Amino acid sequence: MSRNRDPRSGQPRKAKTKSQNVSHQSDTLHSPHPRVMEVILHLRQIINEFILQLESRHEQEDLEQEEQQHRQNIRNQEAILIHLMCEVVNLLHSGASSSLELQLPRLSLVSKGGAGSGQQAQSSREPDQLSHQLSDSKTAFISCYLSNRGIDFSALYQSNLQDFIAYKGDKYHEDKNTLGFINFGLSENKHCIDLLTERLSQSDMNYIDDDLLQYPDWKGHAFLREEVARFLTYYCKAPDLLDPGNVVVLNSSLSVFLTLTMVLCDPGDAFLIPTPLYSGFTLTSHLYSKVELIHIHLQSKMDTQTFQLIMDKLEKALLEAKFKGEKVRGLVLCNPNNSLGNIDTLDSLKEYLEFAKRHNLHVIIDETYMLSEFRASIPFHSVLNMKSLPDPNRTHVIWGTSKSFGISGFCFGTLYTHNKEVVSAVGAFGFLHGIAGLTQHKLCRLLQDGEWIDNVYLPTNRSRMQVAHRYITNKLKTMKVRFLSRGSGLYIWVNLKEYLDPCTFEEEQLFYRRFLDNKLLLAPGKAYMCKEPGWFRLTFTDKPFRLKVAMQRFSEALTHKKQNWIEKQLENALVESVSSPSTRRSSSSSSSSSSPSSSLSFSSSSFVNVDTSHF
Amino acid sequence: MATLPKKESRAPNTCLGLDTNYGDGLEREHSRKPDHKRPEHYGVGDPTTPFSSDGSHLSSRGRISKWFWDLAEEGYRTYHMDEYDEDKNPNGIINLGTSENKLCFDLLSSRLSQSDMLQVKPSLLQYPDWRGHLFLREEVARFLSFYCRSPAPLKPENVVVLNGCASLFSALATVLCEVGEAFLIPAPYYGAITQHVYLYGNVQLVCVYLDSEVTGLDTRPFQLTVEKLEVALQGANAEGVKVKGLILINPQNPLGDIYSPGELREYLEFAKRHELHVVVDEVYMLSVFEESLGYHSVLSLERLPDPQRTHVMWATSKDFGMSGLRFGTLYTENRDVATAVASLCRYHGLSGLVQHQVAQLLQDRDWINQVYLPENHARLKAAHAYVSGELRALGIPFLSRGAGFFIWVDLRKYLPKATFEEERLLWRRFLDKKVLLSFGKAFECKEPGWFRLVFSDKAHRLRLGMQRIRKVLTGTLRVAEDPPSSRTQEPRGQHI
Repeated sequence: MSRNRDPRSGQPRKAKTKSQNVSHQSDTLHSPHPRVMEVILHLRQIINEFILQLESRHEQEDLEQEEQQHRQNIRNQEAILIHLMCEVVNLLHSGASSSLELQLPRLSLVSKGGAGSGQQAQSSREPDQLSHQLSDSKTAFISCYLSNRGIDFSALYQSNLQDFIAYKGDKYHEDKNTLGFINFGLSENKHCIDLLTERLSQSDMNYIDDDLLQYPDWKGHAFLREEVARFLTYYCKAPDLLDPGNVVVLNSSLSVFLTLTMVLCDPGDAFLIPTPLYSGFTLTSHLYSKVELIHIHLQSKMDTQTFQLIMDKLEKALLEAKFKGEKVRGLVLCNPNNSLGNIDTLDSLKEYLEFAKRHNLHVIIDETYMLSEFRASIPFHSVLNMKSLPDPNRTHVIWGTSKSFGISGFCFGTLYTHNKEVVSAVGAFGFLHGIAGLTQHKLCRLLQDGEWIDNVYLPTNRSRMQVAHRYITNKLKTMKVRFLSRGSGLYIWVNLKEYLDPCTFEEEQLFYRRFLDNKLLLAPGKAYMCKEPGWFRLTFTDKPFRLKVAMQRFSEALTHKKQNWIEKQLENALVESVSSPSTRRSSSSSSSSSSPSSSLSFSSSSFVNVDTSHF
Repeated sequence: MATLPKKESRAPNTCLGLDTNYGDGLEREHSRKPDHKRPEHYGVGDPTTPFSSDGSHLSSRGRISKWFWDLAEEGYRTYHMDEYDEDKNPNGIINLGTSENKLCFDLLSSRLSQSDMLQVKPSLLQYPDWRGHLFLREEVARFLSFYCRSPAPLKPENVVVLNGCASLFSALATVLCEVGEAFLIPAPYYGAITQHVYLYGNVQLVCVYLDSEVTGLDTRPFQLTVEKLEVALQGANAEGVKVKGLILINPQNPLGDIYSPGELREYLEFAKRHELHVVVDEVYMLSVFEESLGYHSVLSLERLPDPQRTHVMWATSKDFGMSGLRFGTLYTENRDVATAVASLCRYHGLSGLVQHQVAQLLQDRDWINQVYLPENHARLKAAHAYVSGELRALGIPFLSRGAGFFIWVDLRKYLPKATFEEERLLWRRFLDKKVLLSFGKAFECKEPGWFRLVFSDKAHRLRLGMQRIRKVLTGTLRVAEDPPSSRTQEPRGQHI
């Protein structure tokens, strides 16, 4: 155990805290609780091992009965360990930490979603934390081996991925694991994996030559960049042929976003970004590039369209940021929008670009979801479709195959920009985000095969998406759940505000846990920095049998929640009937003021689709 | 939010400029101070000067990365515009500068075309585990257990898989060091590491300069000793530079040398004493073509002095001659480090299909042991014999003990003055005669006049390349007498 500790002071050298002010304290203070610390570190190590064991075991697709049992055992043990650890840390937290000044994050925040953990999570949460989503979700991660940023990244990684890992280890299977998790939180298109598997198995994919095995041009092989330019020219309906010299190919859209923020911003510089936003942006700007994202919070109730970005908001946000002394370098847009599934009209796009031009702002526009619109009535327009870009040297387009082709495991993203300086600066990062030559060849073949894309893939994908979408939205309507969906993207933006009492992010998190208990992963709105609690992103691009089970679980969770609410009301009524009149008055007034939605009633009148015009 | 140091102090520590001041290692040590003195010493090297911010769309770090790129890639780009081709461009440039093994593409192509490689499974097309697919990590663990001869089987959970060792250096630097902290590295070293640890991590390298001259207790040129490590560490500490670790490349690039188990242990003990991480880059581990050398991976050591601070990297780019495959891997017993690196893997991922192929390749022990390795080593040996023979005929001293793809050539006597400008001019002359080499400055060698010559190429290209080198050298007046230390070291060196 001693290797986990600083030999000089006998304390762990670094503990991640929210206030980041403890870096030197361990050297000066002597630990009053070395034993407790030792136990914690020991526990943590054991837990890590358990999780790893769990993870590796579960990845094998074939599950035997025996293995399942073994797994259950491991998990039980794990739960015990976590519980123990939480206790110790909380003990420390309450008593020792004041003298230690070692403010360990409360472990219950991140304890797994087993029954009961929710209550703990609620009690230890701090009230106003919307803007601190990142630090808020951190795991207690202590290490004397890592740099502070290393600890920071690990904590984020573990807290962000723990549910995903749980899912990976316990996936639903219609025969072998009917009680496994279904993941509606991950934005992945599983509809057409059969088509892609088949296409990628064809013989043209398996070409090898010496060039493909050698160091590539770090911007991507010329043959692939030419193909990308042709592909984007066609599918973005560019007025002129796009130039392969403006293309850089990297190993994901997110890597493109990362390198763009690296070369356009210095640490601390800022980008404006409307919320709800893609959580990958938040993570990326935090991890490597240290760029600030200034959120422009869009709201569900506005004059025009729900969650519509309007010019006033942009101007105001920029002004405020400048007033605060922020160095705003640009604007990040996501079209079709990730989480909302919105598509920007050509006119509004123009407005945003003109706004950026007026203020000399760069625009990073992520069009990763470009070929995922499934209702023809809403046309998608790429910015590359414009006759002339207002400020071509400051407009940078991102695209990738992970969503449009549903092959997230392929690792391919691309940048298109007229700015040659940006092309070569992003290219300079290429060796850290390179793709195998063999993969580049496959991608080239895939993008080249217009016939297959237009006649096989896109129509099939579209119709499968339509069917799945119809199924889910019908279910939601029967459940009288409000939602937003504008015919693009892989998900539906669902409003469950009515089920939150009070309508807070704590309740949203609890509800998320509730779904998790029902073995259903959803993505809570807070992960997208949505300002209003109660929204969830629900991915519908999954196989019909899983959709069916998932919606059952979804419905059960809602019913359960409803039940709880009724019970709570009854309890309240009971309490009120025995308490004094003054208490009754105050309790009723506080409940109504704490949240507008606490006056919720489960009558059908309150459940209307937000965006009925599209159904 | 972590704030970076001021612009001047963020200038990359290692500069590839032309300033003659670089010749003096001490001076460089001195100039490492992030203070106002830097501009004097790093006049040419200040990355922001070539790219004034006027009219530029880039951030200052964007300009730095571009500067790095433009400078390091100058020769490479020239080569790419005028590549030699036997039929189409016989007067094109021959590349003996890039460390690639071009001798076994036939073997690799045929292996990669076999049906087991072509399998496409849905799970390979979906979001992976960011550490790498489990099947691959298991295979890597088995592979390294076998080829590194580890005393106990290595564990898949200690493996993290990424798209190359460059990414791995970048991620390790970031999670082990704070901004501005440093790694020790014996120089000459594979110069690209400077960029790898700097671009995202803002981590510096502190060079432990090694001499060609054999002095004191040294038994061979450019020998690394604990004493030299201690001096460099103390020097850095005195300058206020916090050193977090030590980078070792074994087999060494560009020296083509290997560390004995005894030496390795000494370095690891040194690191343990000072609580330094040790990153051991073993990317040439299977490219030791002189078996008598007796290569030992750090993973073969019976008991690592500080296992929690020892991190090993390996890749397929050199040992399997496929730099274009973009596969690299970390092995560390430290779970914290593995997790922290994995947290960055999202940006350094590789396709599921490639992961499948790599797993199939590593699994095929029969092919590796009976076909690939013997053939590869025989071809490397033949190419090495040819090039070293030519060099000997020219009377050029060189170092090379039978590992790696390169020979470390001593051309100091061809420099009219012992400066890095002259070194670069000579390099230029080679390029003008259509042969690309790497000059010693790119490896932070402190003595001007050393060049790295890559010999792992096809015979006809080697022949032509050597002819062109000969032409340049015979046209260049030897200005200096042979320096005393520049004796030729034969591949089968006696200093094992």
